[in-house]
Amino acid sequence: MRHYLSNIYLGVYTALVGMRITFKQLLQPSVTHQYPYDRSFEQKKNIREIPKGYRGKLHNRIEDCIGCKKCEMICPVDCITIATQKLPKGERLWDSMNVVHLKDRTEIVGNIEGAEKPAPNTAVTIQTRDNRTVAVASEEIANVVERKPVIFYLDQFDIDMSLCMYCGLCTEVCPTECLIMFDNLSDGIEYSTFDRTDLIYEFAKPEMYEQPTDESTEAEAAD
Amino acid sequence: MPLGLQVAWNPDAIGVENLHQFFVQSSESWAQRYVQNHAPFLEHLPAPLGEFAIMLVCCVIFVAVVPLLPLGLVLAERKVSAHIQDRVGPMRVGPHGILQTLADGVKLIFKEDHIPREGDKFLFVVSPYIIFACSFAVFAAIPFGRSILVSELNIGIFYIMAISSVIVMGVIMAGWASNSKWSLLGAMRSAAQIVSYEIPIGLGILTVVMLMQTLNMQEIVKGQDGIANWLIFRTPFTFIAFFVFFISSIAEVNRTPFDLPEAESELVAGFHTEYSGMRFALFFIAEYANMFAVSAIASTLFLGGWHGIVPAEMLPQSGILGFLLRAVTLGGLLGVVIKTLLLVFVMMWLRWTLPRLRVDQLMSLCWKYFIPISFFNILGVGIWGLIFPKDSLLSIIISIAVIILGLIFTFGVLGKSLSQGPEPPPSSAERRVSATT
Amino acid sequence: MAAPQPESKFIELKPFSDEMIVSMGPQHPSTHGVLRLELKLDGEIVRDAIPHIGYLHRCFEKHSENLNYQQIIPFTDRMDYIAAMNMNWGFCLAVEELLATDEKKFSGVPERGEYLRVLIGELNRIGSHLLSFGTYGMDLGAFTPFLYAFRDREKILLLFEKICGARLTYNYIRVGGVSRDTPPGFIDEVKEFIDYFEPQIDKYNALLTANRIFIERTAKVAVMDTEMAINYGVTGPNLRGAGLQWDLRRDEPYSIYDRFDFDVPVGKDIPELGVVAGDCWNRYKVRMDEMKQSIQIIRQILESGLPNGPIQAEMKAVRPPKGEIFSRSEAPRGELGFYIVSDGTPKPVRLKAKSPCFTALSALQELSRGLMVADIIAIIGSIDIVMGEVDR
Repeated sequence: MRHYLSNIYLGVYTALVGMRITFKQLLQPSVTHQYPYDRSFEQKKNIREIPKGYRGKLHNRIEDCIGCKKCEMICPVDCITIATQKLPKGERLWDSMNVVHLKDRTEIVGNIEGAEKPAPNTAVTIQTRDNRTVAVASEEIANVVERKPVIFYLDQFDIDMSLCMYCGLCTEVCPTECLIMFDNLSDGIEYSTFDRTDLIYEFAKPEMYEQPTDESTEAEAAD
Repeated sequence: MPLGLQVAWNPDAIGVENLHQFFVQSSESWAQRYVQNHAPFLEHLPAPLGEFAIMLVCCVIFVAVVPLLPLGLVLAERKVSAHIQDRVGPMRVGPHGILQTLADGVKLIFKEDHIPREGDKFLFVVSPYIIFACSFAVFAAIPFGRSILVSELNIGIFYIMAISSVIVMGVIMAGWASNSKWSLLGAMRSAAQIVSYEIPIGLGILTVVMLMQTLNMQEIVKGQDGIANWLIFRTPFTFIAFFVFFISSIAEVNRTPFDLPEAESELVAGFHTEYSGMRFALFFIAEYANMFAVSAIASTLFLGGWHGIVPAEMLPQSGILGFLLRAVTLGGLLGVVIKTLLLVFVMMWLRWTLPRLRVDQLMSLCWKYFIPISFFNILGVGIWGLIFPKDSLLSIIISIAVIILGLIFTFGVLGKSLSQGPEPPPSSAERRVSATT
Repeated sequence: MAAPQPESKFIELKPFSDEMIVSMGPQHPSTHGVLRLELKLDGEIVRDAIPHIGYLHRCFEKHSENLNYQQIIPFTDRMDYIAAMNMNWGFCLAVEELLATDEKKFSGVPERGEYLRVLIGELNRIGSHLLSFGTYGMDLGAFTPFLYAFRDREKILLLFEKICGARLTYNYIRVGGVSRDTPPGFIDEVKEFIDYFEPQIDKYNALLTANRIFIERTAKVAVMDTEMAINYGVTGPNLRGAGLQWDLRRDEPYSIYDRFDFDVPVGKDIPELGVVAGDCWNRYKVRMDEMKQSIQIIRQILESGLPNGPIQAEMKAVRPPKGEIFSRSEAPRGELGFYIVSDGTPKPVRLKAKSPCFTALSALQELSRGLMVADIIAIIGSIDIVMGEVDR
């Protein structure tokens, strides 16, 4: 009889305890974001933002690519296809740009004016790709990617994002860090298409070799 | 001579008049009264015709209004579950998603109506309508107000029980006709469950009938004027009976923790696995209509029906002020709806809190707990009736005192010792043995 | 109990019997992925249950023979995708042990790397157990714990997203260390999370673990005693739930686990609740208790603070010497073993993964016989399988 009453008591009591917990939750505001419609969460801090260094869609700054094919070799699923032609020996097209990594995980792409290894306690000026001049204290800099000579014509640089497994190994081996993964919402994540062939991204720009852009002339001048 | 033939031969032999008196209160039907009081122009018609006209109007109103209930209830369930689970629920269609159910309904109408090839076509097609019709027929005998009632049956509560147990036929037909093993399992579970839980429900109703001495729903409500007269507080035994009745009703309408016939994590969807389109929607609507119906019955039987907290003679009987005052004191049409919706909310709340029972536990809960408790209640109500042959202030004060003291004693004093030793469940080895024998 | 008998692979029905064969899965709401169970049912009673696996087979082991060691790591993510960090870690441990046989090539993982590995590994263990808890509740019909568990797991995934850039397939722990250092403010966020999460466990215990219906559903169901568990090679929470106190983190400490103080929760007979060691309830409860222990480990890391220094060992290429190795680590679902044969090239000659879920699943047939359909769901949930790891 005691077992019997105890069963009834516990059944009722534990159900009441659970109901108290769920009722408390009922009165609290929800955590849901109405994502595709309500995008204000991108600005709100500490709730939901795409963090720096998120592994999103791959992108290649083709002007800086030296055609080393390291990314093609490391890719576990072979989603990168590269075809190159080597320049005659001793010739080079231009130099790739510096990539300056700051300690808060932001990056600045551009040419460092002066020495590539900045001395401590100095301000480093960087001529960015979009022709801005940025001054950074050398303490904030985590590391700098050196400039490399471009000695290959890139005939083809295709990335099939429908095959990519987002491991990020290609961006880690890239010596000039021209191959990056977008870490923002609009470029890095929302790129779905209706046709799978639209996911093959062709980065090679043959016209870049015919008429040197301003940047490349500058790069040559700075060299 | 068989009975049927006897009746056909000589109807007077067993007294059709008496039968009529038994089934329909013949002295003065509520419709006649209504015609006399509110719609005298109908008196120009012959009396049966006027009665028929008013019933027809009532039916049309019910048929138009009652199917709208599930629309609201489905949305309410989705919103309640969402907020319990830290979500927001449907938000797209209409402001805060209030038109979501409508959109779903339209989608379901346009969906393909699929019938399994090897299934029993006729039963498959018919069973949703049986369930649908039965769950709506229940509303005919539930009084929502002093004169808001489709049919004032002499045997109202008996009729409700009879009709609502026909639903199980539809469930079994659906499960069998689908030609799917999952559906069949669900249907069999449902049959066992509904048949078993009819008994505690019936016994719970019996306690009410013993106190009120009538099967007529309207009469039962009329005896519960004011909160002290609500049957739930009339005796300590009806207090227990209310909870037994309410929990058994949850089992009757197949909701968690008793939703075994459609346990989605076990049987995919139970008896309506193979249904699609509008037929599925009929099941869905019937489920929610049922939920509302059993809550309405519970509030009618135990929570005073259209009688509010305050006795009726203390409030103005007519006019908007009277209507509002009655609603505020949980009386009148709005009062019934509020009480019913509160019970519906408790059902939803339970569903999103508790896990599901196993089949054998469901049965043991019914046969080992609810039915003995119900018998105890009937015994108790009988003894109570002997001690207090007429309800008086004294009996009601004693009853409420016993209820409050009992609750305090159970949860405050007995709780600690009771929470120590529940009955140990049978081990798997024991269950294996009992399963093989 | 005798050693497990070889079971027949197919179910045969006697003519004119009342039994029926039901195919449960691969598309079923609670078979945790694409498991298919062939059930022989007598009404509700399960006479026999044979698991059929392979719907998620991806040739991981054969595929690895054509990849070098760095390239294999993203594929280990896809084994147990719920606890991908621990999968990375198990594989890297094996490769590092193989590398360590040649002292010139590898000098050990740096301190900061080790601490980060433990921190991230334990966070992932919490995430994995949270998912297990949530889905177990859902299997038994309680939906709300599922959403609560996912809400809290989301916070862990946000932390992972910040540190490694991905939410599910992390590819974070590498041979010789970890791939990225902590972003600014990360440690504070971890602390904020565990301060938030620790009281939540008690709430979940009150909501589900102590619930009478939940106990009725799981107590004394499918008791796997210690002997049976050892015979089947079951490890991890399932073995500990059977009552054997065996945890590689404590008994064969790898990495820096010997520096932390934590308990190894085991299943117990609790007569007040009617549960016995090795039943579904205890297997489930061990996971709930392990979350608390993981929090304790993380707290110790946060108190001592991460040491400064490199996160990755200096090495030119991962080219283990000739030889073979079997290394095991304690993943959330049990002992994850990797057997690697190397011939000195950057690619392994043979790679074999010992999956904890596979061994746990092998005990299902014996556990489920004679119980009911609803119990099968309870068993699958309590042994907590991930089909990605079973099939590989």
